[in-house]
Amino acid sequence: MKNNFYPWSGEFTVCSSNSCVAVVLLQTDYTPPRDVAVFGQVKTENIGIEKIVANVISNPNIRYLLICGDDIRGHLPGATLIALHKHGIDKENRVVNAPGAIPYIENLEAEAVERFRKQVEILDLIGVRKNEKIDAVVRNCIKNPLPSFGSPYIAIKIGAKYRWAVTDDKRALHSKIVIDYMGKIKGRGC
Amino acid sequence: MFFKGEPKLDEGKEHLEKMLLLSRLTGNPAIPDFFIRKESYIEKIVDFIESTLPKKHPFSIDITVPSIKIKTLEYLHRRGLLPRTVYNSIHIGVTEEERKALKKYTPAAGIVVAFNPKDKSPDGKIEVLENSAHLLDKGLLAIANEVGIKNVLVDTAALAPGENSGASVAAIPVIKEEYGLPAGCAIHNVVEKSAWLKNFDSAVKVVDASSNINIPLFGGDYVIFGPVENAEYVFPIIAWEDILISEYTENYFGIKPWKNHPRRKFFK
Repeated sequence: MKNNFYPWSGEFTVCSSNSCVAVVLLQTDYTPPRDVAVFGQVKTENIGIEKIVANVISNPNIRYLLICGDDIRGHLPGATLIALHKHGIDKENRVVNAPGAIPYIENLEAEAVERFRKQVEILDLIGVRKNEKIDAVVRNCIKNPLPSFGSPYIAIKIGAKYRWAVTDDKRALHSKIVIDYMGKIKGRGC
Repeated sequence: MFFKGEPKLDEGKEHLEKMLLLSRLTGNPAIPDFFIRKESYIEKIVDFIESTLPKKHPFSIDITVPSIKIKTLEYLHRRGLLPRTVYNSIHIGVTEEERKALKKYTPAAGIVVAFNPKDKSPDGKIEVLENSAHLLDKGLLAIANEVGIKNVLVDTAALAPGENSGASVAAIPVIKEEYGLPAGCAIHNVVEKSAWLKNFDSAVKVVDASSNINIPLFGGDYVIFGPVENAEYVFPIIAWEDILISEYTENYFGIKPWKNHPRRKFFK
C-alpha cells in the first residue's frame, strides 16, 4: 500500500507513513520530527493546495494536518487551505471565503475535496514563531492518534484534454493554429 | 528587486547600476522590477526608483496584495510616475477595487498573466486571455483594455515541472500569432521548482541563467529573471542567444538587426 501514498508529485519529505500527522510549512525554518507522516512547503493557493489534498487523502492514516509558519503575502495558501477545509468549494471551483489571490481547485473532483474535509482535522499554527510550541502540538497528535480513515483515496488529476494534432504533414502548437514543417501557417480555427 | 526582507537600498542601487551597465554593454534593454511586500515600503521604494533610475526609464512594480497595489498606484500617480510604470500584474485574481483603481490611475503598461488553473496548456492560456476561463466577467485582455492600459505584455505563466512547465514557452509563438502582443515569462521559476536539481548544486545557477534562452528561441520578446544579482549571467547569455537567432533570421527571412542589437554591438 505504501506505493499508493502521495501519488501527486511535489516538494515534500516522506517520513513515517503510519503516522497520523502531516505538516504544511509556509514561511518558516521549522523542520518537523521524522515521526510525522509527511511534510512539505506550500507556495500557491491553487496547484499547491491541490497537491496537498490529493496526497493527504492517499494516506488514510493522516488525520491531522498542521499548518505553520507565516503565510505568503497575497497568495495566502495557508489561510486558503483552512478556508477550503472549513467551507469547501463553490460551483466555480473557487474556495469559499478564501482570501488568496487565485484560490481555485480545478484539478480535483469535488468528492476528493469532501474526503479531505472529512478525513483531517486542521491544526492552525500560522504565525506561531516558537518551534518548540509547534513541536509540542505535533507530539501531542502522535501521542493521541485518531484511527485510520479507512481506504486510501487516489485522486485522479482532472486535466484538460490536449488537442494537439500531429500527423505526417502538419504540426500544431495550438488547436487553432496549424503550421507546416517549414514553420508556415497552414490553418487557423481548425 | 527587494523580494525578501527589508529593502536594502544601497545594495539595490549597486545592483541596479550594474544591470543598466550590462544592458548598455549588450544592447538589450532592461526594465527593473520592484517587489513591494508591505504598505510601509511603498514610499521608500517609489522614492528610490525616482532618485536612482534615469529619468524616463521604465520600471515595473510587482505586488501580490490587492490593497497594496491600489495604494501604490495612488502614490505613483501623485509622483507623476504612472507614464513610466509597468503594472505587474493583471491575473484572474484581479479584484473589482483593483480594476477601479487601475481605471483611475492607469499605468503606461501592464503585464497580463495567462495563468489558467483549469488548463495549463497553450489553449488554456489563450482561454484565460479571451474569457478568463469564465472565472471573471470578461477576459484578461478585455479587462486590461477596459481599464485603459495601452501597452500589454503577456506573461505565459511558467509553472513547476509536472504542471506542463513547457507550455509557457510553447504558448509564446501561439500568443504572438493570435494577438501580436509581446510575450515572455519567468522561466527561471521552473528551475527554482526543480527540486531534483539540488543534487547538482554547482549547476543550479548555470541552469537558472541559461533557462532564459528558451524565451528568445521560441520568439519571446522579454525574459523575467531574478534575483537582480543574476544579471551578470543572464545578459551575456541572452545576448549570445540573440546573436545566434539573428544570424539565422537574417539568413532565412532577411531580417536585419537594429543598431543596438547584440550582434551589432559585438560584430561591427
